[in-house]
Amino acid sequence: MRLKFYLIAFLLVGGAMQAQNYKFGKVSKEEVEETEHPTNKDADAAILYKKQYSFYDYNSTTGLSLVTRYHYRIKLYNEDGFDWATVQLDEYKSSNDEEKIYGVKGYTYNILDGKLVDEKLRKDEIFDEEISKYRDAIKFTMPSLQAGSVVEYEYEKRSPFLTSLDDTELQATIPIKMMEVKVEIPEFFGFVSHYNQLASLFIPIDKTSEPFNMHTQSNDYLQTVYTITKENIPALKEEVYVDYLYNYAARIKWELQYTKFPNQPMDYFSHSWEDVSKSIYDDGGYATELRRSNFFKDDVDAVLDGASSAEEKLVRIYNFIKSKVAWNDYIGYTAENGIKKAYKEGSGNTGDINLLLIAMLRYAGLEAHPVLLSTKSNGVPVFPTRSGFNYVIAGIQFGEQTLLLDATDKNAAPGELPERARNWQGRIIKDEGKSDWVYLLPTYKSKELNYMNLQITEDLKLKGKYTGIYEKLVAKNFRDKYKGINEESYLELLQEGKGDILISELTKENENAIGQNVKEVYQFEINNGIEAIGDKLYVNPLLFLSEKENPFKAEERTYPIYLNYPVEYASTINFMIPKGYKIESLPESAMVNMNDEDAKFKYLITQSSNFLRLETSIDLNKSVFSANDYEHLKNFFDEIVSKHSEAIVLSKIEEDNGSTELTEGRR
Amino acid sequence: MKSFLVSVMLLSGILCFAQESYQSIILKKELTEHANAVLRDENILVEVEDVDKMTVTTRRVVTVLNKYGNGFVRAYDFYDDGDAKIKSQSAYVYNKMGNEIKKYKQRDFKDQSAVGSSNLYSDNRVSYLDYSPMSYPYTVVYESEVQMSTTVFIQPFQPVDAYYVSVESSEYQLKNPNHIPLRYLESNLDSIQVEKNNTDFEISYAVKNIPAYKYEPYSPQISELTPKVKVALDKFSLMGVEGTANNWKEFGKWQYENLIEGRDELYSSTKAEITALVKDAETDYQKAKLIYEYMQGKTRYISVQLGIGGWEPILATEVDRVGYGDCKGLTNYMKALLASQGIKSNYAVVYAGDEQKDIDPKFASMQGNHVILNVPGIAEEDVWLECTSQSLPFNYLGDFTDNRHVLLIKEDGGEIVKTPNYECDINLEETLCEIDLSEDAFTANIKKQSKGIPYGNNYHIQGQKDKDKNIYYKEVFGNLQGIHFDHLSFENDKEQASFSEELEFTGKKFYTTAGNRILLPLNFIEPEIDMVSRDEDRHDPVEILRGFTNKDQFNFKIPEGYAVEALPEAISIETDFGSFKFSVESSKDDPDVLVVKRSVSVNQGHWPADKFGDFREFLNKINMLSNQKAVLVKNS
Repeated sequence: MRLKFYLIAFLLVGGAMQAQNYKFGKVSKEEVEETEHPTNKDADAAILYKKQYSFYDYNSTTGLSLVTRYHYRIKLYNEDGFDWATVQLDEYKSSNDEEKIYGVKGYTYNILDGKLVDEKLRKDEIFDEEISKYRDAIKFTMPSLQAGSVVEYEYEKRSPFLTSLDDTELQATIPIKMMEVKVEIPEFFGFVSHYNQLASLFIPIDKTSEPFNMHTQSNDYLQTVYTITKENIPALKEEVYVDYLYNYAARIKWELQYTKFPNQPMDYFSHSWEDVSKSIYDDGGYATELRRSNFFKDDVDAVLDGASSAEEKLVRIYNFIKSKVAWNDYIGYTAENGIKKAYKEGSGNTGDINLLLIAMLRYAGLEAHPVLLSTKSNGVPVFPTRSGFNYVIAGIQFGEQTLLLDATDKNAAPGELPERARNWQGRIIKDEGKSDWVYLLPTYKSKELNYMNLQITEDLKLKGKYTGIYEKLVAKNFRDKYKGINEESYLELLQEGKGDILISELTKENENAIGQNVKEVYQFEINNGIEAIGDKLYVNPLLFLSEKENPFKAEERTYPIYLNYPVEYASTINFMIPKGYKIESLPESAMVNMNDEDAKFKYLITQSSNFLRLETSIDLNKSVFSANDYEHLKNFFDEIVSKHSEAIVLSKIEEDNGSTELTEGRR
Repeated sequence: MKSFLVSVMLLSGILCFAQESYQSIILKKELTEHANAVLRDENILVEVEDVDKMTVTTRRVVTVLNKYGNGFVRAYDFYDDGDAKIKSQSAYVYNKMGNEIKKYKQRDFKDQSAVGSSNLYSDNRVSYLDYSPMSYPYTVVYESEVQMSTTVFIQPFQPVDAYYVSVESSEYQLKNPNHIPLRYLESNLDSIQVEKNNTDFEISYAVKNIPAYKYEPYSPQISELTPKVKVALDKFSLMGVEGTANNWKEFGKWQYENLIEGRDELYSSTKAEITALVKDAETDYQKAKLIYEYMQGKTRYISVQLGIGGWEPILATEVDRVGYGDCKGLTNYMKALLASQGIKSNYAVVYAGDEQKDIDPKFASMQGNHVILNVPGIAEEDVWLECTSQSLPFNYLGDFTDNRHVLLIKEDGGEIVKTPNYECDINLEETLCEIDLSEDAFTANIKKQSKGIPYGNNYHIQGQKDKDKNIYYKEVFGNLQGIHFDHLSFENDKEQASFSEELEFTGKKFYTTAGNRILLPLNFIEPEIDMVSRDEDRHDPVEILRGFTNKDQFNFKIPEGYAVEALPEAISIETDFGSFKFSVESSKDDPDVLVVKRSVSVNQGHWPADKFGDFREFLNKINMLSNQKAVLVKNS
C-alpha cells in the first residue's frame, strides 16, 4: 500500500516536470500553486527559468550591435521574495554612445477562484530614470503580487560597446530551477570565456561553431556559439566576514584577446597577465602621462628643495600631492581628467592622482611604477582580463623592496593602502610594459598597545591612567574614524560602553602626523568597576580592554574569513593592591596557539609586593584564514573571552591576625 | 555711466570684504566650540510674485571645520519637470586663508534623483555640488535662484537644524508685492538675539552668533530646540491646484476637495467580494477588521511619486488592479473598501517616525510625510490603521505614528486630533528564565512575552528563516558564550497584540571563576538601559517619549558541589523617573535554586535640565544593581 502511494506521488511529480513549458507566457498552474521550493525550504523566491541569448546583430546602416535578450520567470513563495519582482535594468552610456533597452514585457500570474489569471505590466508602469552621467535605468515593479505569484518578464538590450561583453551570471542568492544561456560571438571578436574558479559549483559549457549571417552575399564568416543548459542551480550562501560574496558565485567572465575585422589586420588586446598589463599601459596612455612634467616642474622643484635622500623626496612628493589633489571618489586605472588637468583643478580619480604621483616621483629620480589592481568589490583577478583590474597605485622600487603608495587616501602612510585596495595581488608594470605580481595584503604587523595603571580608591572606585599606542594600520584606522572630530564628541564616543566612567586630561599625539604612531593618554575613574560582596572585592583589571564577545557566532563556514590585516592587540595593566587587602585568588595564566603561529593568545599575571601585573595579547598573524580554520578560530576566541572575563578576589586583612599573610607568603 | 562705475566699485568692494571674511582661521572661539561647521552668512530671499509664482534666492556661506561638517554645506536645490526650476546655481570654494581654490558654474553641478532607493520612481531631482575637500577648514559660498509655481510650501526661517553647527549670521526676507495675506509662527526665538522687521504682508528676520548645539542623550529632538519661523500664504497653489485657507478646517477642506474626493470609487466586483467577505460579521468593528486583513493580504507598499501624485492618492481602482501603492494610495483604498460597507473613515496626515513629531495644531500649512486611516465610531475609542504593513494587527500603530497630533481630512474640513499613546505599563516585556548551571556549561529555557510598543519591535522574528532567527538571538544574547538553540517557538496573538517567544538553548560557562569561587552575574538578560555619562553642564531638558516596564525572573540552578557564600540584598527604588526592584533568594522548594526577581519601569515624561543628574543616577543604578553577583563556593 505504502509503496503504491510513493509510486503515484513520484509519477505525479515526474509528470509535472515533463509538462514544464518555458515559452514566454506559458506559466503553468502548478508553478503558481507550488508553496515552497522542493529542496530549499528557506528560499523566499526562486528563478524558475532564466534565459539569456547574446548575439551580434548586423545592420547595413548602423553596422554591428551587441544584442542580449533576457527572459526571467520568477516564483515568489512569500512576501519576503517580493523584492525579486522589482527590477532595475541599467543602461550604460558614454559621451557619444549608449546602451538601450527595448521591448520590456511582463505579466504576473496568480490563482483566482481555482483559475490561473494574469495581470499585465503596463507601459505607464515602466519608468526611465537618469542615474548619473554614465548610467540610465529602466525601473518597474510587477503588479498584483501575492504570496505564490509567478512573475515573468523579458526585454532586449542593445549595446554599441561591441568589445565589452558583460559577465554571464550563472548563480543567484535564490535557487535557479532551469537556466539556458546562449552566447554567439562572430570571428571578428577574439573572446575567451573564463569560468570563476572560486565558485564551488561547476557548470559545463558547450562550445560549437556555426556560420555567422551578415545578410550580405558572402556568408563565409563563422561564429562561436557557447551554450549552457543547467537545471537546479543552488542559491549562493551568505556569510559574515566575506571579502565580496559574488567572488564565490558561478559566472563567466569574457576576455577580449583580439579583434579581426574583414580586410583589417588583427588587433591584439591580451591573453596573459603580461599582455593585459601591456595593453592597459598602452591604451591607458601611461607612457605619455608618465612622461609629462612641464606643468609641475617648478612646484616640485620647490617642494624638493633641500631634500637629499630618496626617502625624503618620496615623502615630500607624496604629501604634496595629498595636499594638492583631492580624490573625487571615482576609481579607475586610467586618468579620467588627465594628470595635468587633475593637478590644476585639484581633484581627480584614482588614475589621475596615482599616475601624477608616479610622474612626480620619476621626475625626482625615483624608480616608480604603476601597480594595477582590482578593488574588493571588483572581485579577485584570477583570469587575465582588463576588466579584472579597475584601480592603479604606485609601486616604488628600493632595491628588492617595493613600497606601495596610494595618494587618494589622506590617512595612508607610505606602504599603507586603503582597505579597498588591499585585495590579494596587483601587477606592477615596469619599463616597456614588462610586468610582475606584487602582494597587496600587508605583511607587516599593525599594533594596538594598551597600558594601564590602576588603583582602588577608599570609596571603592577604580582610578587609573590609560596610555594607548596605535601603530600602522591601527593608527590609520583611528585617523579614518576620528581625525578632525571635535573633542567633546570624541570624549562621548570614548566613554561609550566603558561603564560609569569619567575620562579627563585626554591628550592625543600625532593624530595628524600620518605614518607616526598615535599616542593617546587619559585619566579615568570608574564607579562600577568593583564588586564588593561580603568582605571580599572582585575586580577584573582588564576593565574595558577585555574581549567580551566572540565575533564568530555561526556554527559553520563556507568561505574564507577576512580579518583585514595582521594585527596584535596587547594590554599591560599594573594594578595596586589596596591597603588592608590581600589576594585571595588570581586567575591562572594561559597561552593558546592556534595552527602553530597563525594566532596566539597570552594571559599572564604576576605579583610583586603590592603590585599585580597583567599582560595579555591577541596576536593574529594572517589577514585571511581558510574556511577549514573556522572551528579553530571560533574556539580560539571562546578561550579569549572566557579568560578575559575572570576576576581577581581580594579579601580584607584582619588587623589582629597579620601573621596569616606572612605564613601564606612563605608557603 | 557713472552709476555703472559705482556699482562695479560696490561689487568689488563687497568681494574684497567677502574674501577677507572667508578666512576661517580667524573665527571666533564661541562659534568654533564643539562645532563641525559654521554657517557664516546666509541670506534667503523669498519673493512671492503671485499665488502661483515664487522665486527663492539663496546665498549661503558655510565654513566646514572637519569631515563631520561636510553634510552641512547643503549646496543643492531640488527641481522637477514642471513645477520648480533652477534658474541659476554657482559655488565658490575657499581655503582656510580665504583664497579661492575652486569655482563651479551651474553646469558643473551634478544631477540625480532626489529620493532614495526606497522609492521606485519619483520625478523630483536634485542638482548638487560634488566637492571633495582637500583640507579643513574650507569655506563654500553657494548661490542659487529657484523659481516655482507651487506656493503652498514657503521655506521657513530656520538657520540651524543640526547639532554641532554654529551660526555667525543668517538673514531671511519674504517680499510680497501683491499683498497676498500670509501667516507666520515663531518658535524658540526667546533665547537668542533676533532682529525682525515685519509688516502685514512682508517679514524679515536676522540672527547673529548662535553657538553650536551639542547633542545630549535623552533630550528632545533638535528641531524642538532651535529657532524657527514657519510661514504660509492664505492663498496658494500646489502644482496648479489653487486654494484659500488660513486655519486647519479650511486647509483640510481644500485638501479633501482637491486631492481626496472622488478617488475612492471601486469596481462593483470588488464591492461584491467585500460584501461576501463580511456577510457573517455582526459589528462594524468585526467587518473593518476583516476588510483590513483582506487589504493586507492583497497589497504591498511601493512608492511612485509623479507630479500631483506626490500629494494625491492614486485611484482606489488602480490599487485594486496592481495590488500596490504608497501610503496615500493604500490608505485611500482601505477607506474605499470600508465605505463600500457603509463604514466611514478619515484620511489622516501624520509625521511618521519614532520621534513623535506633531502636525502643528497652531499653524495650518502643508505638513506631514505619511498617511494613516482613522475609523471613528466602531469602537469606544477611534480605531487607527497603518495601511502600508502586511503584518501589523488591526488597530495597532506602534512607535511609527503613536501619540502625536495628526490632521484628519474630512468632508467638512480639517481637524487636528491625537493618535493613541502607549503607556508605561502597556509597553511590557516579561520573561521567565530557568537556567541550569553545570561546571562549564548551562542549559536555559526562556519564556518571554511582549506587549505594546515592544510587540511591534519583536513580532517580526517569527517570520524569519531559522538561520536568521539564530543570528538574531545570538546577537540578542551577545553576553552569553557559545550558545546553541535547540528549540524556538512563537505565538503571535494579534487580537491582544501580544507576542510570546519560548527558547531552549545551551551555552558555555555563564559565570566567571575566581579561585575556588564562582561569581554568578544575576543578570541572565541584561536590561536595555545603557550607562549615561556625567554632564555637569546639562543644557536640554530630559525627555522620555515612551515609558516601559520590564519584568524578569531568573531561576538559577547552581552547579553541583557548590554552595552559596554571599547574595546581594534586595532593593527597591522609587523615583519620579520610574522604579526598580531587585531581589534574590534561595527557592523554598529547592535550596539549590536561586530565584532572582527584577522589575524595571521607566516613566514617560519631561523634566527640566537640572534633573538630569538624578535621572542619570537612576539609570546607572539600574544598570549597576542589575549586574550584581552571587558568590558560590566549592564545597570542601
